[in-house]
Formats: sequence, C-alpha cells, structure tokens
Amino acid sequence: MKDVMVVIKLMMAEKRDILYSILFGVLAGLTSVGLFAMSGYMISKSALAPPLYIITIMTATLKMFGVAKSISRYAERYFSHRATFTILSNLRVSFYEKLVPLAPGIFQKYRSGDLLARIVGDVESLQNFFLRVFYPPIVLVIVFLSTIFFTTYYSIYVALTLFAGLILTGFIVPALFALRQGKIDSQVREERGALSTDVTELLYGFRDLKIYQKLDGKEKQLGKSADLYVDGQEREGIHAVFNQSVNALVALMISWFVLALGAYLVTEGELAGLFLAMLVMISLTVFENATPMALFPAHLEESRHAAARLFSIVEGKSEEEGSSDQLSKEKAYSMEMDGVSYTFLGEKRLTLENIQLNIVAGSKTAIVGPSGSGKSTVLQLLLNMYLADQGDIRLDGSPIDSLAQESIWERTNVVLQENHFFFGTIRENLMIAKDGLTDQEMETALLNVRLDSFSLEDPVFEKGENLSGGEKQRMAIARAMLKGAHVWLLDEPTSSIDAVTEKQIYDQLFEAAKDDTLILVSHRLTGLETMDQIIVMEKGSVIESGTFDELMNKKGYFYEMKQIEKSVLL
Amino acid sequence: MDMLRKWAFEQRAMTAFLFVSSVLTGAMMIGQAYFFVTIVDGVFLKEQSFEDIKPLLWGLLAVMLLRAVLSYLNGRTGVKMASNVKRKVRRMLLEKMTRNPIQSALAGQSGGKVSVMMDAVDEIDSYYSKYIPQVIQTSIVPLMILAVVLYEHVYSGLIMIITAPFIPLFFIIVGMKTKAKSEEQLDKLAAFSGRFLDTLQGLTTLKLFGRAAKQRDLIEQSSLDFRDATMTILKIAFVSTLMLEFISTLSIGLIALEVGLRLVVFESIAFSTAFFVLVLAPEFYLSLKELGSAFHTGRGSMGAAKKVMDELEETEQPVKWGTAEVSIPSIELRNASFQYRDGFSLKNIKATIPPNAQMAIVGQTGSGKTTLLHLIAGLFDPSEGDVLVNGRPRSDYSETAWFDQLSYISQHPYLFSGTIADNIAIGGAKGASRADIEMAAKKAGISDLIKSLENGYDTPIGEAGRGLSGGEKQRIALARAFLKQPSIILFDEPTTGLDLKTERILQQSMAELAKHSTVITVAHRLHTIKNADQILFLKKGEIVASGPHTELMKTSMEYREMVLQQGGTVI
Ligand SMILES: Nc1ncnc2c1ncn2[C@@H]1O[C@H](COP(=O)(O)OP(=O)(O)O)[C@@H](O)[C@H]1O
Ligand SMILES: Nc1ncnc2c1ncn2[C@@H]1O[C@H](COP(=O)(O)OP(=O)(O)O)[C@@H](O)[C@H]1O
Ligand SMILES: [Mg+2]
Ligand SMILES: [Mg+2]
Repeated sequence: MKDVMVVIKLMMAEKRDILYSILFGVLAGLTSVGLFAMSGYMISKSALAPPLYIITIMTATLKMFGVAKSISRYAERYFSHRATFTILSNLRVSFYEKLVPLAPGIFQKYRSGDLLARIVGDVESLQNFFLRVFYPPIVLVIVFLSTIFFTTYYSIYVALTLFAGLILTGFIVPALFALRQGKIDSQVREERGALSTDVTELLYGFRDLKIYQKLDGKEKQLGKSADLYVDGQEREGIHAVFNQSVNALVALMISWFVLALGAYLVTEGELAGLFLAMLVMISLTVFENATPMALFPAHLEESRHAAARLFSIVEGKSEEEGSSDQLSKEKAYSMEMDGVSYTFLGEKRLTLENIQLNIVAGSKTAIVGPSGSGKSTVLQLLLNMYLADQGDIRLDGSPIDSLAQESIWERTNVVLQENHFFFGTIRENLMIAKDGLTDQEMETALLNVRLDSFSLEDPVFEKGENLSGGEKQRMAIARAMLKGAHVWLLDEPTSSIDAVTEKQIYDQLFEAAKDDTLILVSHRLTGLETMDQIIVMEKGSVIESGTFDELMNKKGYFYEMKQIEKSVLL
Repeated sequence: MDMLRKWAFEQRAMTAFLFVSSVLTGAMMIGQAYFFVTIVDGVFLKEQSFEDIKPLLWGLLAVMLLRAVLSYLNGRTGVKMASNVKRKVRRMLLEKMTRNPIQSALAGQSGGKVSVMMDAVDEIDSYYSKYIPQVIQTSIVPLMILAVVLYEHVYSGLIMIITAPFIPLFFIIVGMKTKAKSEEQLDKLAAFSGRFLDTLQGLTTLKLFGRAAKQRDLIEQSSLDFRDATMTILKIAFVSTLMLEFISTLSIGLIALEVGLRLVVFESIAFSTAFFVLVLAPEFYLSLKELGSAFHTGRGSMGAAKKVMDELEETEQPVKWGTAEVSIPSIELRNASFQYRDGFSLKNIKATIPPNAQMAIVGQTGSGKTTLLHLIAGLFDPSEGDVLVNGRPRSDYSETAWFDQLSYISQHPYLFSGTIADNIAIGGAKGASRADIEMAAKKAGISDLIKSLENGYDTPIGEAGRGLSGGEKQRIALARAFLKQPSIILFDEPTTGLDLKTERILQQSMAELAKHSTVITVAHRLHTIKNADQILFLKKGEIVASGPHTELMKTSMEYREMVLQQGGTVI
C-alpha cells in the first residue's frame, strides 16, 4: 500500500484533470440515465395520446440530453487519459531519477532487461490505477445515489432495489472476486519481466551465443518464457471476461427484478404504469456504470503489485546529503588514503586492506599489480563511487565525505577499464565531455588519439559495437582529454592499443597533463621510469611504492616483474 | 493487415463459434426487447394481472442468463485466439532474432528490439480479443435487428438503412489515421526503451561526466513523446466516438420522432410496436458504434503488426552453411575480402593455415584484426574470394560441425547472468562435468579466486551477480576455451587486463592447447607474437607482410619499428 501512496502522491500533481474527470464522469453518467429515463417516459406518455407539443418538447430535451451525454463522455475520457498518461510519464522519469544514485551497485542486484520491463511494463500497467481504480468508484457512487434519490419519488421499493444492486455489483461481487483473484496477476508481471530480461540478454550476449552455438537452446528457452507469459495473460484475460460477465448478469438480474417488482406494483395499483418503462430503463442504464467494477480488484491488485515492483528497487536509499563542499576548479588536487579498507557488499574477504597512498598535487603515479589486486577499486574509491569501510580518504586536504560527489567527478578526467558508448554518432559521444564543445575541438581531440580517420557524423552502435577495441579506448581518452579537468584517473587505458600508437597517444596525454595530478593503472612496466611514484599492489594491499629506481634497487616484487618482462622481451 | 486476418481465419473452429454465438446473441437481444416490451405493455396498457405476465418474466430471465453466458464464451474465445497468435508471432520473432547474422544483430538499439518483442506483440492482442469478435457480431446482429424492425415497422427500418452507412463510413476515415499514428506510438515507445536501456548501461559513464541530470531531460523528452503519441491516438478515438454518438443519437431521435408521430398523431401503430422499435434501435446503433471503437483498436493492432512484420521481413544475407562434416582442418584464405556496410574493408587476404599451426595476427588498432578473426570464424561470409577449409569452401560445411571444432574467445567476451560454472560451461559441449569445469578454470588461472569465494563455482556473476575485475572476466572467458578441446582456437587479445605474472601461468596451458590445435591469436605483446610459426601483419585491412618473426624483422620496416617500440621506452 505504501508504494501505491507514492503513485497517489505523483497523481496529485494532476489535480485539476482529476477533478474534471470526476465532474464530467458524473455528468456523463447522469445525462445518460436521464436520456434513457426520458425516452422510456416519452414512449409511455405517447401511448396516452398527449398533445403534440409535449412530444415535440420531449424530443428536443431528449436531443439535448444526448448531446450533453456525448460531450461529457468525451471530456471525461479526454481529461482522465491526459492525466493518466502524464502521470505515467512523470513516473518513468521519477523512477530513472531514483535509479541514478544507485549506479553502479544496482547492477549487481538487477538485470537491465528487468529494469526495462519495470519502467515500461509496470509503469504502463499502472494506467489502470487511475483509469479504473482511483476515480471511477467516486463517479459511480455519485451517479447511483442521485439516481436512487430520483427514483424514490416514484417508488421507494424500486429505489431500495437499486440501492441493493449498487451494493451487490459495486462492492459485494467485486469483493468476492478479490478473494479469487489470488496471485494470477502478480505472476504475469513477473513472467513479463523474465521474458524482457532474457531477450535483452540474448541481444547483449549475441556474439558469444553464436560462437558457442547456444542460440538454438536460447531460442527454445525464450520460446518457453514467451509462452508462459502469454499463458498468464490468457488466464488473466479469461478471468476478466468471466468477472465482467458475472457482474453484467447480476446487473441484468436487478433490472429484471425492477421490472418484476414494478409490474407487480402496477398491477397492485401502487405505481402508475406510465413510469414502469422509465424505471426499468433507468435501471438498465445505471448498471452499465457498475459492470466495470468487476475488474476493480484485479486492477487494484495489479497496480499494487506493479507499484511495489517499481519502488522496491529504489526505495529507502535517498541520496547522501550534506556533503556539498566543492573542489577547486582551476588546479590539480592531491589525494591521500590513510589506512583505507574496503569490502564489496556480500564479500567475506577484504577487497582492499589498510591502503596508504599519498599523491601529491601535480604528480604522476602508476599503479601496477596482478589482475584482481584491487587497482580499479582504489580508483573507484578515489572517485567516491563507493565509500571506504575504514580509514580516511582526503582530496585536496578535505575528507572525501565532505565533498559533493558531482564536484569530484567534475574535476577529474576518467578513463575506466570499460567505457560505455551510446547509440548515436561520434559527435554525440564526445559531446558528453563538456558543454559547449565546438566541432573543431572535437576534431582536434580525435586527431590527438589518432582517430582522425573518423568524422564526427560517423555512427556509433550501442556499446560501440562497430568500433574496434583500441578505437573505443582511444575514443574514451579523447573524451577525457576534452573534459579538461586537472586530475586524471586512467585505468588500463591502452591495453588494446598497439605499442606504436600507444606511444603517440601517451606523448599527447602527458603533454596535456603536464601540470596535472595523474594516476595510471598499467600492466606495462616499460616506460614507468619517468613516473614520480609507482605503487605496487597485491591482494588488496600496497606492497611496495617508490620511484622506478628505488623499486629496482629494492629488488622486491616490482623488480621481479620487471625481470619477467625483460625475459619475455628478449 | 492481411496477415492478421489470415491468422484469425486459420483458427476455424473459433471463428465458426463466434459466428454461431453472434447469431444467438442477436436472437437474445431481440428476445429481451420483446419480453420487456410485452411485459410493460401488458401491465401498463392491457391491464393484465401479475399472474398473466409471470411466464413472460421467466422468459426474460432465461434470455438474460443466456446473453451473459454468450458474452462470456465470446470474450473467452477472443482471448484464446489472441493468445494463439501472440504465441505464434513471438516464436517467429525469436526465430528471426536468433537466425540474424551477427552484423545486423549488433546494429540498432537493443531496447527497441525488446520493445517490439514485448509491446508490439502485446498490442496485437486486441485485434483478436476485441476487433474480430466485434466485426463478426456487427456483421450479424444489426442485420437481424433490422430484419425484425422492417417486419414490425417498415419506416423505422428504412431510417436505419439510410442512416447506418454513415457510421462505418465515418470510422473508416478515422481508422486510416489511427494505423499510422499507432505505428508512430510504438516507435516512440521503442525509442524510449532503447534510450533507457542504453542509458542504464552507461550510467556510470554519464555520472562521471556529470550528465546523469541532462540525460534525465532526454529520458523525460522520450517519455513525453510517447505520452503525446498515445494521446494523439486516443484523441482520434474519442473524437470518433463522439461523432458516432452524435450520428446515432440523431438517428435514434429520427426514429423516435417518426414512431412518436405515428403513435400520437396518426395513431397508425400500436404502443407495443413503437416501444419495441425504440428499444431495439439503440441496440442497433450500439452494435455499429462498438464496431467503431473496435475498429479503432483493430487499426492500432495493425500498426503494431506492421512493426512486427517489418522486423520479420527485413531481409538479411545470412552466413551460408552446408552439411559436410569437419575434420582437423587446414584453412586457406584465397583473396578473401569483406566490407562492413559501406565502411571499413578487409581486402584481398591471402593466407594458408595448416593444421596445428600457431598463427599471430598483428597490426595497429583498427587495422582489421578482429574483423579477420570474424571472417575466419565463419561469422561473416567473404564478399569476394574464398575461405577454404580442407580445400572446400567453408560454406560447404555444417554450421554445428564447424563450431564444434572451434573456440573463439572474442575481444569483449560477454558474461551471462548465471553462476561461474554456467559461464564456463557455455564454452563446451552439453553436460560438461564439474570436474572438467574446475580443470578448465585451473588452466585459465582463475581457480584460486573461485575457491576463495563463499559459493565457489556457484557464485552468480554477470548482471545481477558479483562483480569481477577486468582480468578475472577475461580468464573466465578463457576457461571456456580450455573446457572444450577444439581443433581451431581463435584468441582476440586474450591477455588484455592481465599482468605478466598471471599471463605466464596462462602461457603454459595455452602451449598445451596448441599441441593439438590450430591457434590463431591477435596480440600486441611481443612474446606471444614471437612464438608464432607465422605472423600476419595487417595494415588498413590488408596484409602488408607475413612470415615468422625473424623473417619479418628483416623484411618489414614497420614491423621492426613496432617491435622496437615494445622494448624501448614508451612514455
Ligand atoms: N562488484 C564487485 N563485487 C565483489 N567483488 C568485486 C567487485 N568488483 C571487483 N571485485 C573483486 O575485487 C578485487 C579487486 O578488483 P579490481 O580492483 O577490479 O582489480 P584490478 O586490480 O584488476 O583492477 C577482485 O578480486 C575482484 O574479484
Ligand atoms: N560492425 C561494424 N560496422 C562497421 N564498421 C566496423 C564494425 N566493426 C568494426 N568496424 C570498423 O572496422 C575497422 C577494423 O576493426 P577491427 O577489426 O575491430 O580492428 P582491430 O584490428 O583493432 O581488431 C575499424 O575501423 C572499425 O571501426
Ligand atoms: Mg582493473
Ligand atoms: Mg580488435
């Protein structure tokens, strides 16, 4: 229910449309009851040979009712749907907004196809919340009460029957269905999520599935998920048809009862025969509004479930607040780690243990060490993507948790080990770097990384699938260079680039970063002679640090690695 | 869309049932009106006693019951038909998706494709659950009513005949627009899905560049676009309903006036006839009106069906395969060329790769190394020239047989959402034992890490799983090759992200593999290259030099420069 409250809150932004929907809904309901009541009355009246002008007047009124009914129905639909789809649109955006602070940790819990299913499918199914759950009962009750009030003038018994009918079709029958509703619905949402997730993964892993000849198997498996989903929808659909037919039947029964009762009262002389047709017409019409109530429990349940699925992901974790200090924009800053330990969520082993780092502003540092020793994790902590469990991290002398995350990101040029490229053009992918970049600047950046054979209009596929590995890395470097901040964090930026091109790029890079603080994670030891500091990591700890010469003299781990490199180079 | 109709009438029993039940429904409607009118007439004008009308009341009750049952059965049939078609269409899409050649699989946005699979197919539903049953019903019921009215009172029937055609005419005009608009709506939804999924994947990148908020605006825009597209369609629907209502109230008014005048002024018909006609007239127009809105939804489904069909009909040149079995192969590239859709091309590749050869492909980034591996692996067909396996075109061989002989560790191996064991097992034949998997992991130098994990080989990785460092991911992928002992192995930069020490451990297992298989490696590191029997040196899509290391050092300036660069200073 809590999640539904969130939806209601979002809905309240569309207050005016909601009011209009209710207003026109009531109007449409009343005019249509009026229309049929009139026509029933008119025909009976005609039988009694009234003067012609009465017939004329009544026909004219009838027309007016008809027109009013059609227009109010139109207005109701228009406003309610406009409100609904605006609400849904806001819901999607708000879901995204809540998702952003949770990256990248969220991807260890949820699969992207699943998140997609939620933001599309679950949000979409919430449309029924407003259109079928939220306001129609209000309209229904108002229309019914007015109608019942009107009928009391003619026959209190008929009025009572109508009232009983309202309770029956509006509340009791739906409540009975609610009991039966069970979990049919929740399964469908889950099945939809599963299918969407699997299809997404099929697309993402297509190349590997092809190579390993697993596509046929996947196709079969997906075929099954798809069938399960359709089966679920079918069950749901038949269920809905059943509920609606039953409720429609109950409504018909009531009109039948009104007719029987009315007929009896007429024969007993307690009701003028003139009104019999009118009363039955009223009953038939007013219950048309009540039949959809059969689906109320299904829609409510569906909405509740969809809201829960949506908000379970993003709930609770609001953004960390309070840290708002900014890093200086113009100059390179220093970075320190003091006794930092870190463990990834759900791990028992320390990922980083008691790390000491002192990176002077403007210095050049290399981090080396075996795969999995924690190099990338150190960089991520320095970016405040994760919070250290223990120890202090200071940027420019200020504790990292006093700084706004955005300010850190704004002041660093980052090349991650894996960089994302968006579907679009080269230009769009480079534009991310900074506001107001000119084509000229971007072309220069491409030239700096030897990608001048590309034009800014060239297409980029999703995840940069049409770029070679080295091209992607160079594109990422170009993007970082364009950003123009004064601190560089580079995580194996050239691992797929050949030595010749690598050299050319490093020349450019170090020229651009002349006065900046720079940290480079690399597996290549050749060329580290000029670094101010080399940090050697193993199994989550810093085991050595110093300049190239210091480490070589020490004859420790670095020296050993260097010997291996030499031996393979010979 | 003809396809949709064809699929409907393929389900013969169901459509036949819909026809029968429509006739019955029509009969029930007329019956209901008859009983209702007779009862009112009886007590109101004929002053019958309650006892006299009792049988009529029971008759009415029975008719109402039957009507409800019929509406249930009708609805249920529609739902079932829709399900059958949705199942069929999804299977077709899946087949198409999995048969796609790799190039077209990579183009376009994944989110958009998911949207066709999910949303467009779901959109087809209402064609069967609403439109078809309504079309059948409306092609029968109004005619039955008309017949009865004509019989009872010709003039009202004539008014119906004259006014009725306006309704279909009107909604045909409206429906035309709907189809195009609903295609647009689905396009917008696909665009939203595509953008969202792409953004999700790149969220970390966006955050680092301070773009998450900007992207929010784009997402909002996509989302609003979709809303607007939806509203446009709905507005058409609402306006058309409004118009239909006007037409039908006007017509019913005409009938009422005509009947009223005859009843009051000319006294030429009986009350019961007049009332009967007046009760039936709204049912007549209602049925037509409902067809109107069903038509609207139906057109929407047609738009969706068109999207699906576009996806299905997109003709792709699939990689050609035959039926021959593969033995330990020798591979020859004879003047093979390949071009990406008016982009980069591999030109005139000549190479002979004998069984058990150790080949290295080197070259600058973007020179076409990966593309060449794809070509050798059979992911692409050469546009010119031939790839010969044991002297016959590769396209003679059976796809399964070929890939059974081959392992290909691509440059960015994908880790599937699943356990570590599953991820390694995907590389081998079905039913690899746990021991085999552990052995493969060991050879790939990743077993120590796996053992240190709480759940060991059952640790979930990939999306919604534990994160791994770059080098660890690479080694999991490598384990796939070690699991299967194929006769050809293609490695695309297998040791990126690995330090020299880890790489040395791997070297041993790789050497072991090489004893019984052809190994073709794309590499930048000298020591891998040097050990190769033959090196293909690529530049801008062409082989500029080939031969063993020592020879190339002598013959190729560029090659020498590259080697020197590795040993010399880089930074
Ligand atoms: N998201 C994660 N969850 C749990 N463990 C992780 C995660 N990411 C990385 N690790 C583990 O942390 C260790 C350090 O990883 P990383 O810093 O990426 O290594 P590298 O030095 O190769 O960059 C590795 O053992 C890796 O398995
Ligand atoms: N799917 C694709 N569509 C179009 N161009 C592509 C595609 N994949 C790669 N390319 C282009 O082909 C060229 C060669 O790429 P690739 O073979 O991956 O190079 P590398 O030698 O670095 O492995 C690159 O310029 C790249 O941009
Ligand atoms: Mg790393
Ligand atoms: Mg490559």
